[in-house]
Amino acid sequence: MAQLQLKNLYKQYRNKKSKQQNDFAVNDFSLTCNDGEFVGILGPSGCGKTTTLRMIAGLEEITKGEIFIGDTKVNDIHPKDRQIGLAFEDYALYPPLNVYDNIAFNLRAKKISEQKIHEQITQIAPLLKVDDLLDSRPVGLSGGQKQRVNIARAIIRKPKLLLLDEPLSHLDGKMRQVLRTEIKRLHKEINCTTIIVTHDQLEAMSLADKIAIMKDGKLQQFGTPLEVYDDPANEFVAGFIGEPPMNLMTVKISKNMDEFFFDFPKSEVKISVPQRYHSVIVDGMTVKLGVRPMDVLIGDKTSKGSRVHVAVFENLGEERKISVRVGDEFLTLTTAEEIRLKHGDIIRLQVKAEKTHLFDVETGQRIRATD
Amino acid sequence: MNLKLKRICGASVRNTLLALYAVFALFPIFWMILITFKTDAEMYTTTFIFHPTLHNYEEVLLRTDYFWAFLDNIIVSSLAVVVSVLAGVPAAYALARYKFRGKEDLAFTILSFKFAPEILVILPLFMIYQKLGIFDTYFGLIWVYQLITMPLIIWVVRGYFEDVNIEIEQAAQLDGYPWYSVFLKILLPLIKPGLVAAALLSFIFAWNSFTFPLLLSGFKIETVTVASLKYIASDTVHYGQMAVAATVAVIPEVVLALLIQKHLVRGLSFGAVKG
Amino acid sequence: MAQIELNNITKKFKRTVALENLSLAVKDKEFFVLFGPAGAGKTTILKTIAGLEFPDAGCVKINDDIVNLVEPARRNVSMVFENYALYPHFTVYDNIASPMRSPLYKKDEEFIKKEVYRVATMMKIDDLMDRLPSQISNGQKQRVAIGRCLVRQPNVFLMDEPLAHLDAKLRHFMRAELKEMQSSFDTTIIYVTHDYLEALSLGDRIGVINEGKIEQIGTADEVYYTPANQFVAKLFGEPEINLFGADIIEEVGKIKLKFLDQKHLFSVEDDVAAALSACEHSVVKMGIRGTCISYSLSKEDDEFIHGTIYSLEPIGNKSILIVDIAGQQIRLLAPNDFYADLDSDIYIKMNLKNALFFDKDDETFIIRHNQKHYIEKTL
Repeated sequence: MAQLQLKNLYKQYRNKKSKQQNDFAVNDFSLTCNDGEFVGILGPSGCGKTTTLRMIAGLEEITKGEIFIGDTKVNDIHPKDRQIGLAFEDYALYPPLNVYDNIAFNLRAKKISEQKIHEQITQIAPLLKVDDLLDSRPVGLSGGQKQRVNIARAIIRKPKLLLLDEPLSHLDGKMRQVLRTEIKRLHKEINCTTIIVTHDQLEAMSLADKIAIMKDGKLQQFGTPLEVYDDPANEFVAGFIGEPPMNLMTVKISKNMDEFFFDFPKSEVKISVPQRYHSVIVDGMTVKLGVRPMDVLIGDKTSKGSRVHVAVFENLGEERKISVRVGDEFLTLTTAEEIRLKHGDIIRLQVKAEKTHLFDVETGQRIRATD
Repeated sequence: MNLKLKRICGASVRNTLLALYAVFALFPIFWMILITFKTDAEMYTTTFIFHPTLHNYEEVLLRTDYFWAFLDNIIVSSLAVVVSVLAGVPAAYALARYKFRGKEDLAFTILSFKFAPEILVILPLFMIYQKLGIFDTYFGLIWVYQLITMPLIIWVVRGYFEDVNIEIEQAAQLDGYPWYSVFLKILLPLIKPGLVAAALLSFIFAWNSFTFPLLLSGFKIETVTVASLKYIASDTVHYGQMAVAATVAVIPEVVLALLIQKHLVRGLSFGAVKG
Repeated sequence: MAQIELNNITKKFKRTVALENLSLAVKDKEFFVLFGPAGAGKTTILKTIAGLEFPDAGCVKINDDIVNLVEPARRNVSMVFENYALYPHFTVYDNIASPMRSPLYKKDEEFIKKEVYRVATMMKIDDLMDRLPSQISNGQKQRVAIGRCLVRQPNVFLMDEPLAHLDAKLRHFMRAELKEMQSSFDTTIIYVTHDYLEALSLGDRIGVINEGKIEQIGTADEVYYTPANQFVAKLFGEPEINLFGADIIEEVGKIKLKFLDQKHLFSVEDDVAAALSACEHSVVKMGIRGTCISYSLSKEDDEFIHGTIYSLEPIGNKSILIVDIAGQQIRLLAPNDFYADLDSDIYIKMNLKNALFFDKDDETFIIRHNQKHYIEKTL
């Protein structure tokens, strides 16, 4: 158990054929993961998250920067000496060995006595609910069971640091939910500093204490699930986190009788600009307006909200999702209210002013209200 | 630092070993080309320093019927490949797609032709060919060459067919194409890289075949492998001329081998299926 | 435009039974969703209708004609395959044009061009016409596949998990797009999915399939509010519905329920009580969705049940709270800013008006309160 520190980490792959240097796969990435913390590294495929994980594990050379586990700089320490437990997305269990031997494999390689191995396995197995499976072979196991064994194998060595690379992505929906809860419980039981790499925002949100969101090798935001959800640093984070995704629409600011409005292009829809933004906007400015589907409400008949036609109404059991066409784009809203609408019905849009976010059209950076 | 150093060391050791192996493997070819320029007199007395001459080339290419052997070899090998493609591609399709009893046994039997020693079957074949009257004919040679070319084509192309998702075929069926259009328009372009590579490779094997043309032909039809033997006379062996014959025979193979390299890239069928 | 009928279809692959005596009738111009877990036989049903799989028994009818012996090409159906099945060596344009160039549905090139562009504009892929399938993203491939399906006016569109390979964001968006286009398709659609959101959103009716058999056919409201059995109940909704046993106890002439090792007896509405007292067992399975459970940090009244927090998983606008009560894990929802340490105490209250009751043996649905209301709400 230890603190993990990444300091200005870079990774560059050399293109052998053209001798040209490629862009950085990981670009100036710094992160501190406190002792016992559960951190998620989240991003779309190709964002450099797996490369980062592999550098921490020592499977990938570090181009520039430093990695500390505890107080030790591990840049030049061999992977097997870094005291890291690693569980990959594909289970990579040894098929001829049964579950017990699979878990024991690495311990035996370290010449630990059989009695001690037995002790450790009987201690770990119930945590991952594999105690009934110890005699079976990997072939007969379901995906979820294999991944449990895989994780058991990673934590049996009592690592300082546990690294999980997309551990749930091969599992089907139900199993994923179950194992997600189990991993969360496991982290509480063993309280080991853990990094999980995933492309699934739901997985990162539900498991991690803190989430680092990456794109194109760069860290976009590092914060708790609630922070990245409610207070995104830029347009990318805003769009990446949350499901259904946040509405992100280009709007023009217009002024009418001392009141500012967001004007949606190719549409009649207008939304008045919340007071707190008045100091950062000017008439005629174009911005990206972000608002989550659940923060758009259906106003009653007396409200001033713009009248729009329902394009799509979806009844999804727990909630209802309504999509309206604003210009060429969909604006979606969700509600838990028991309403029934159909295509063509007219509703009034009302936006929770305090839940709107503005982003710079060019850089995607958040425009924050000064209050 | 020591990690990085280790990696560099590993790479240089690996490269050195590979370079050594390349020298080892290429030396016989270099030696063969070298002796094509030597006279018979200098053959045993010199190694690298001698009086180069084109005499051997003159002898082989202008004064013997080596050219006709070369032509025969082209005719027999390429027709053998054409026949194998025509019969082998449908067979490969059947083996890839249909489920029938004894499928794997059949596939394996076809493959086993490839590793049965030719010398084992050559005597009965010789008798049969005499009886049938196809001894020393193009037809006879092309037929027996199927043992060499067919298994290769069937096995390679079968793998390519298996890589093409069956749903692509089904989509084409639902689009309203009859089976032969599905095959020609959709499947054939997708297996082309494999088919070309397999055809070129089997052409090379047919080209190099020695036992069959030696014993099942040799009078009216002669291949280059058999023709090379002629330079062993009763009194002496004309190594120089033999080397020329072999060198010329190698040229089409080298060209084809370079062509195959390009065609072995099998990217085409990926990407559209799944993602 | 056609109605499709499957009568007593059985299909076996070697020894496994893919479809077992399955009957199904899809009405003309209906959007019918086949929904079920992986391996339930959904794709086999589609392929049987298309003629790509041959049933071992039973008959397939399109417009009252038995088509068992009709070739796939001549059934005039078009299909979107799960893995898109685009022709890798054709450009996007040629892929979409392909059905109109086949000998059976041949059109002249001018007409083809007009049609391809009409469909491509609708699918928003008109700027990709010269690309090969390997050069476009999954979402675009999926649109091309749908486009290729739409250029014809077939008897029926068969769609096999067209959104399955897209990421969650794109799936939300494409689902809405599909639903919006639905009215312009103007023909029968049979749509296969394993995503309950797609099923609820798109289907005029939903057929829930499990292990080659139909569990329930009904509208979205019917399958969600009055599932035919526990299996169907578990498939719809996230977090999964909570199911646990409850003892039926008669106390001074009133039917009460005792569950989760609680001392308190919970009373139920009259219509539920009547159905439960008619029940032959003294035990029922009770199902209650996470949305119908509230929580509190103190025991506000007798109906609150004590438990400990097993797990708390924020998922954006809300958190899934899993509470451990007497070894049973109960899933409910909490706002996303709710925070409490794992294993700390919590009290939950179930809204029994929304509880579903199932037979403890054969797991079939017995009753829920005000059942008629839910079925009649269906428009």
